[in-house]
Amino acid sequence: MNISPSVRHGSALAGIAGVLLLVGCAGSPTANEAEGTAGAGAGSTPSASPGPSASSGSSNGSGTYKDGTYTADGSYRTPETVEKITVTVTLAGGVVDKVQVTGDPQARETERYQGQFIGGISELVVGKPLDQISVSKVAGSSLTSQGFTQAIEKIRTEAAS
Amino acid sequence: MDAPAPPWRFEAIGTVWEIGSGRPLSAEDRDAVAAIIDGFDRTWSRFRPDSVVSRLAASPGSVPPPGDATPMLDLYAELAEATGGAVNPLVGESLARRGYDAALSLRDRGPVAAPADWRSALAWSPDGLVLSEPATIDVGAIGKGRLVDLVHAALRSRGHTALVVDASGDLAVSGPAVRVGLEHPYDPTLAIGVVELRDRALCASAVNRRAWGDGLHHVLDARTGEPVRTIAATWAIASSAMLADAAATALFFDGGPAFAHAQGVEWVRMTTSGTVEWSPGSPAELFG
Repeated sequence: MNISPSVRHGSALAGIAGVLLLVGCAGSPTANEAEGTAGAGAGSTPSASPGPSASSGSSNGSGTYKDGTYTADGSYRTPETVEKITVTVTLAGGVVDKVQVTGDPQARETERYQGQFIGGISELVVGKPLDQISVSKVAGSSLTSQGFTQAIEKIRTEAAS
Repeated sequence: MDAPAPPWRFEAIGTVWEIGSGRPLSAEDRDAVAAIIDGFDRTWSRFRPDSVVSRLAASPGSVPPPGDATPMLDLYAELAEATGGAVNPLVGESLARRGYDAALSLRDRGPVAAPADWRSALAWSPDGLVLSEPATIDVGAIGKGRLVDLVHAALRSRGHTALVVDASGDLAVSGPAVRVGLEHPYDPTLAIGVVELRDRALCASAVNRRAWGDGLHHVLDARTGEPVRTIAATWAIASSAMLADAAATALFFDGGPAFAHAQGVEWVRMTTSGTVEWSPGSPAELFG
């Protein structure tokens, strides 16, 4: 089989590997198991179902897969995105006739990773006293209500007693 | 410009508000603001038993759609997608279990994840807001920003053009520029930088004040019910306070920088180890 033209991104390859595995491994003949395999590799909620073109009942004789077209959706997490792919496998005469991988629009973003979205990093940022800078507003965590302050005081008192 | 009138300071929705305008706020202005805040609180506060979300939590079902449901929940859907589910509008029970409950018990009963499939549990449309399984809606990631936008828009329409609406951490500015200090999350007497806002909104979020118990605070990862540990404070600058609030929350998680980039939000954040990061177009001046 020839899948390389469909696999343009190294990041997508990891996701595909799990799905292809189900095609190659004997003894797991149901679409449900295919689902489980894709899920294990993907960590999301893939689904697999025989496509509309699945043939009706023509077995290849070896007791593994029926001929037909199988489609599985998979997703896997990268640091910045969830990559989704759809793999369509066509079986004919018990062997893989065609593999089609679609849906990697986010892969290009993934390659750029999050560095693209961060302008800079510094470990040297230090604070300046607020009364030495000219600001009319200060933004930090929200000031809490009297109710919250009282609740904190209450649990402190109870912890101390 | 004229000397600004003293800001109107009051407490509402569990925090302190300050509204400053180039001209005095009339009694009618204040009534209008109070009515907006009260209406929002009656709908979305999980800290009052008579609110819409509290009644839904007690008895799941369908209610007439609150006015803010669609803009807020649409944005929540984007936030959830961008953060891989770390942000989730059904995180209310997770927060309550850690002690951030209606009674403010601050008693930890352990982590519990929010419903991961919240999109099937919660539906919103012009026909209604429908909760189909027991859960507690919590719009804490963006609700205050939304309310700041509502108050800001109402006062603008009442003729206040030089306006600062500050709900402590979320502020919207129109008219003259305002210089805002970025409060150090570990020392409130310090600023780590300053940013000048002109016709923009800024939201800050940090884990230092709404904190209790053993390292517990109000920013939870909805996937686990555990408080975030890597980011101490975030600041986001956007065209609306709701969007800034959303980004300030997203920036506690992986996916936050990409979300901000996609939404045109500039930001600064500090990790719990003290490192500061900022967006490529950040207008903040940082002190280093």
